Amino acid sequence: MTTHEQAFERAEPQAVERRGLHRPSLSGDWWRHLIALAACFIAVFPVLYVASAAFNADQSLGGTNLIPRSLSLENFRELLSPDPAKSQLQSSTSHYLRWLGNSLIVALTTSVLTVLLGALAAYAFSRFRFRGRRLGLLSLLLIQMFPQLLALVAIYLILLRTGDVFPFMGLDTRTGLILVYLGGVMGVNTWLLKGFFDTIPSELDESARVDGATPAQVFWGVVLPLALPILSVIGILSFVGTFNEYVLASALLQSNENFTLPLGLRGYIDKQYTEHWGPFAAGVLLAGVPIMVIFMSLQRFIVSGLTQGSVKG
Amino acid sequence: MSVFSGVVGLAIKIALLAVVNGVAVWGGTVLASDEKWFALAVLVAATLAIDLIYLSPRRAIPLKFLVPGTVFLIAFQIVPIVYNVNVGFTNWSTGHILVKSEAIAGIQRNSLGPPPDGAAYSMAPARNADGNLVLLLVDDTTGEQFVGSEDGLEPLGRDSLKLGEFGTIETPPSGYTLVTGAELLRLDTELSRFTVPTESGAIRSEGTEAALELAPTLRYDRVRDTFTRIEDGTTFRDNSKGAFVAAGGEELEPGWRTNIGLANFSAVLTDPLIREPFLRVFLWTLVFAASIVLVSFALGLFLAIVLNKPTLRFRRGYQVVLIVPYALPAFLAVLVWGGLLNDDFGVVNNALHTNIPWLFDPWWARVSVIAVSVWLTVPYFLLVSLGALQSIPSELVEAARVDGGGPFAILRRVTLPLLLVVVAPLMIASFALNFNNFVNIYLLTAGGPPSDDQSVAGATDILITYTYKLAFEAGKGNDFGLACAVSIFIFMIVASISGAAFWKTGSLENVR
Amino acid sequence: MQSLSKRTIGVLVVIAAVLVTMLVVAGPTAAAAETKIRVWTDKDRKAAVEKVVGAWAASKGLSVEVLEKDFGKIRDDLKTVQPESAPDVIIGAHDWTGQLAADGLVLPLFPTKATRAQFPSYALSAFSYGTAVTRLYAAPVALENIALVVNTKLVKVPKTFAEFQASALAFKKKANGNLAVAVPQGAAGDAYHMYPFFSGLGGYVFGRNKAGNLDPSDIGVANKTFLSNASQIDAWNKSGFLNSKIDYGVAKDSFLKGKAAFWITGPWEADTLRTSKLSYKIVQVPSNKFKSVPFLGVQGFMVTKFATTHGLESAAKDLVGSYMMRPDGQAALAAANGRFPANMVAGKAVKNPLLAQFGKAGVGGVPMPNIPQMSSVWSDLASAWVKSTKGSGASKARTAFATAARNIANKIG
Repeated sequence: MTTHEQAFERAEPQAVERRGLHRPSLSGDWWRHLIALAACFIAVFPVLYVASAAFNADQSLGGTNLIPRSLSLENFRELLSPDPAKSQLQSSTSHYLRWLGNSLIVALTTSVLTVLLGALAAYAFSRFRFRGRRLGLLSLLLIQMFPQLLALVAIYLILLRTGDVFPFMGLDTRTGLILVYLGGVMGVNTWLLKGFFDTIPSELDESARVDGATPAQVFWGVVLPLALPILSVIGILSFVGTFNEYVLASALLQSNENFTLPLGLRGYIDKQYTEHWGPFAAGVLLAGVPIMVIFMSLQRFIVSGLTQGSVKG
Repeated sequence: MSVFSGVVGLAIKIALLAVVNGVAVWGGTVLASDEKWFALAVLVAATLAIDLIYLSPRRAIPLKFLVPGTVFLIAFQIVPIVYNVNVGFTNWSTGHILVKSEAIAGIQRNSLGPPPDGAAYSMAPARNADGNLVLLLVDDTTGEQFVGSEDGLEPLGRDSLKLGEFGTIETPPSGYTLVTGAELLRLDTELSRFTVPTESGAIRSEGTEAALELAPTLRYDRVRDTFTRIEDGTTFRDNSKGAFVAAGGEELEPGWRTNIGLANFSAVLTDPLIREPFLRVFLWTLVFAASIVLVSFALGLFLAIVLNKPTLRFRRGYQVVLIVPYALPAFLAVLVWGGLLNDDFGVVNNALHTNIPWLFDPWWARVSVIAVSVWLTVPYFLLVSLGALQSIPSELVEAARVDGGGPFAILRRVTLPLLLVVVAPLMIASFALNFNNFVNIYLLTAGGPPSDDQSVAGATDILITYTYKLAFEAGKGNDFGLACAVSIFIFMIVASISGAAFWKTGSLENVR
Repeated sequence: MQSLSKRTIGVLVVIAAVLVTMLVVAGPTAAAAETKIRVWTDKDRKAAVEKVVGAWAASKGLSVEVLEKDFGKIRDDLKTVQPESAPDVIIGAHDWTGQLAADGLVLPLFPTKATRAQFPSYALSAFSYGTAVTRLYAAPVALENIALVVNTKLVKVPKTFAEFQASALAFKKKANGNLAVAVPQGAAGDAYHMYPFFSGLGGYVFGRNKAGNLDPSDIGVANKTFLSNASQIDAWNKSGFLNSKIDYGVAKDSFLKGKAAFWITGPWEADTLRTSKLSYKIVQVPSNKFKSVPFLGVQGFMVTKFATTHGLESAAKDLVGSYMMRPDGQAALAAANGRFPANMVAGKAVKNPLLAQFGKAGVGGVPMPNIPQMSSVWSDLASAWVKSTKGSGASKARTAFATAARNIANKIG
C-alpha cells in the first residue's frame, strides 16, 4: 500500500502549481495575451472558412469572403436526416450517424489497444536488458519511416488473405481495419512510454518483486497505474489519429455501412468539379466536437503527461 | 494488487491464450482444406512459439511483453516492406497486371473480331431432344433461322421460332426447350465458351440473347509459345519482360507480370527523367522536412513558454484553440489554405494588401508549402513542449537566474538542452513523416509551379510526389514496380538520415 | 508455477476445443451464397444503377450487389482487386479504356448493329481501343463536355473570337475585381478546361496513325501550326484575357456574383445555373484560328474479366452490351447525375434545355484520348498554360508548350 501512495505522489506534477504561486499574475502578462491571441487567430482563421462553408447553402469552399451569401442549416439537415427527394446526391441515404459510430468504435478500440500493447512493449524496453534491445528500439522508429502510401497494396492483400481464413477480420470489416492500425502501435508511442517508464524508480518494482510479485503483476499493479497520465495522452493522440485517418480506411473498407467518418464524408467531394463542400464541412465540424470535448477534459493530462519525467531519465 | 494476483491473472492469461489457439486451430483447418501449406506452417510455428513463450514461466520474460505489439508490427509494417521489395523486382504496371496464362487468354479473346460480312444473330440457348446445349439463331439481316451446335449451323424452316419485343426468341421450335432462369445461370460458363464453327470463324454467344460470327486475327502456338498474325504472318515472341513482341517492336496487349530483375532499380540510377532533377528534388525534400520540424518546434516552444505560466488567465482556453489545427483532417485544412493563398483572389494577399505570388512563384510556393505544413505541425510541438517545460525542475531555472542569466541565456543553456533530450526522437520522427508528406504537397501545389529548369519535377515536388509523378503520371501510368523500387531508395535515405541523427543527438545513448 | 503449466495446458486444450467447435459452427456455413452480380458504381448513380440493374436481374433470377466507390478509385482498385471480391461490371470514364484494356481487365463487347446505330459514333469510338485493331469495351451511358456560359444580362453572346475577346476585356475594365473569362486553372493548372483555347489555336494531343488509331508518338502539344499561333496566348496573358490564378472556386464564385460574364464549365454545374437566377446562354467558344472545340467525355459500363471467373460472363454481357444500351435504362442512368444520355433515342426524349445547350456546344469536339499514354500528358500540358498565363513573370507560350511537348515525349519514353 505504501508503495502505491509514494508512487502517486511522485507522479503528480507538483512543480507546475508550485512555481506559479509566488509570482501572482499581474497586468504584466499583456504581451503573453497578445501573442496568444495572435496565435489563436492564425490557428482558427482557416477553420472559420470551413464553418462558413458549413452554414452556406452554396456548396463552395473558401470562396473570397467569409460571410456566406445565404446563411442556412441546410447542410446539417442534409447530413443528419437526408431527404431523398431534396438531397443533391440523389442517392437515398446519408449514413452520417452510422459513420460517426464506426469511427468512434474503431478509434476507441484502436486507442485503448494501442495504449495497452505500446505499454507492454515499452515496459520490456524500460525494465529488461536483453540482446537486440537497442537495435530493436532503433528499428521501431526506422520501420515507421517507410512511405505508407506504397505499402497500401501489400496491406490490402494481407487483409484479403486473412479474410479468406477469418471472414470477421478481413477486408471491409472494422476488426480488420483496427488490426491494421495496430501495426503502427510500436514506434514513437513506445519511445514516449519507455521514456516515462524510465522515470518510475525501479526500486518500486523491486520491492514488489521481493514481495513475490511476478513481472506481469508488477506491470499491471504498479507501473501502469503510475503511468496513467502518459497513457491517456497516447490514447488521445492515437484516437485523433485514427478518427481522422483516411488513406488506409479508404483502401480497406468497401461498403457504405462500414465506412468511417472521413471516408463517408469523402463521398460528398469525391468528384472533380462537383464537390458538395457544404455537407462535408458540416460533417467535419460536427465530428470535431467530440474531439474537442476529449481534448478539453483531458488537457491536464496532455500537458503534464506528454513527456513528463522522461527528461530525468 | 489483489486483482492481478494469482488466479484472476492466470484466468485472463489462459482465456487470451485459448482464444489465440482457438482462432489458430480454426484458421489451420481452413488453410489445410485450401491446401495452403506454407501459410499453415507459418501459422503453426507462430502459435507454438506464442504458447511456448507464455507457458514457460520465468523465461523469455521480455518477449512476453513484446510479442503482442510485435505480431502486428510484423504483419502490417514489415511484411508490406518485404512485399514492396519483391514488387520492385517485377514489371507490375499498366499492361502487366495478369499472369501469363491469363494474358494469353486475353490476347486470344481480344483478337476475335467480326470477319467482313460476318453475320449477327438473335440467339436463345436451348436443349435439343438429346439434352445437349444448342443455340437457336435468327440472322439479324436476313431473318433466316438456324440451330447452331458444336458441329455447325443447321437451317430451320422460316418462322419455326417466334420473336418477342426486343428481338428475343420466345417460342422454340418443337423438339427444343429453351434454357432460362437458374439453369441458364448455371450454364453461363459453358455458354460463353460455346462455339458454332463456320467457314470464316465461329459463332459465339454475346450475352444471353445475341450471338455473332467472330474470327481470330492471331493464332497462338502452344508448343513454340508464339502468336502469329493470320493476316501477314508476323510472329510475336515472349520477350521475357512480360509481353509478346514482334521483330519490329510491335507489342501485343495485355502483357503479364513477371520478374525483371534489377531493371527498376537501375532505372532509378540511369533514367535521365529521374537522375537529372534528383539532386534538386532531394535537397528540397531535405529543406522541406527539416524546416517544418525546426520552425514548428521553435514556434511550438515559443508559444509553450508564453503559455507556461499557471496563473495566466484564459490559459486553458488558449491551449484548446491552439490545438484546433491538429484536430481537423489535414487534407481539408490544406485545401482551405490553397484558396486563402491564391495570388490574385486569396484572402491573405487581400488582407495584407500585398501581391505576393504565394503559389505561382517557385520560391514563394516553397515558402507556402512549408508555412502550411508548419501550421499543421505547431500544435503537436506545442503540446510536447508544454509537457516538457513543466517537467524541467524549477530549481535548475531558479539557480540559473540567481547566477544572473538573462531569459535567453537560461533558455539556451538550461531549458533547451533538457528539452532536446526528450523532444529529439519526436523531432526525428516528425522529420521522417514530413519527408514523405505526400498530402500537403499534392493538395496545395501538386508539386508545382513548374520549376525554372524546365524539368518534369515541379518546384515543390518532394521525392515522394515526384515518385508518384514518375510512376503514375508518366509512361502508360501505374508503374507499381518502379514506384516500389523508388520507395525502397527513399526508405533507405530517410532511414540513414534519421539513424545518423539518432546517433548524433545521443537519443540512443539516453537509453538506459 | 511448474505444476501449474501442466494444468494450464489441459485447460487450454479444453477451451480451444470448445472455441473451435463454436467458431466452426457459427462460421463459414453462410458462405454458400446465391449467384450475385456485383457492380461498382459511384455515389451519385448508385440508386439509379440499383434500379436499372435490379429490374434486369429480377427477370434473370439473379441478385445484385451494388458497391459504392469513389469514381476515380474504381479504375485503380480494379487493378489490385482479387477475384473473390472483384466486380463483374463497373462504371467508368472512356479515357480509362486504354489502361484497362491493355491490362486485360475488361472484355470486348459486340452490341448488335441496331443498338450501335442508336449511339453517336464518337461515343462508341471513345470506348474503343486497340494497338492494331480496336474493340469496343463499354456501353456508353452519359455524355459530357464543357462550354462557354455567357451571362446575357452583362454581355452579348459573341459570334466571333475577336468579339468574345473584346467584350470580355471590356467587361473586365468596367470594375475592379471583374474577370475577363472565368476559366479555372489554379496552381496545378487544368488542361481540360483550357482545351477550347488550345484547339482553337491548332493544338491537339495525339495524332492518328494510318489505321486511324491514336498514335502516342505523334504529340501535337507543340505542333508547328499551334506554335505559330502561340503568340496569341502571350497577348491574352498581357491583356488579362486569361489568368491562370483563377481556380475553380474563384471562377464559379465570380460568375455567380456577376463579376465574370463568361464562364467555362460543364453540365455538372447545371443545377447551379438553374438555381442561380442569372440569365445565361450556353454556347461553344467561338472559332479562333480553328474551331474552339472542347474535350468530350463519355461515361459507361464495362464488363470485367472477373465476370468470366465468376461464371457470369454471358449474364454480364447481356446486362451491359444489350440491356443497358436500351433507351429506357440510358435515360434513368444519365439523369442520375445530370448528364445527357449517350443513346440518341433516349436523348430525343430529354426535355432539359440546359443539357441540350451543353450538347450543342460539344459538336465537333474531340473525345479525350483514351490510350494509356494520356497519363503522361495532363500535368505538363496544364503546366504550360499555368506558366504562360500567370500574369507578370509568365514565360513565352512558345517556350512553355515546347517544353511541355518535350517533357511529355520523355515521359512516354
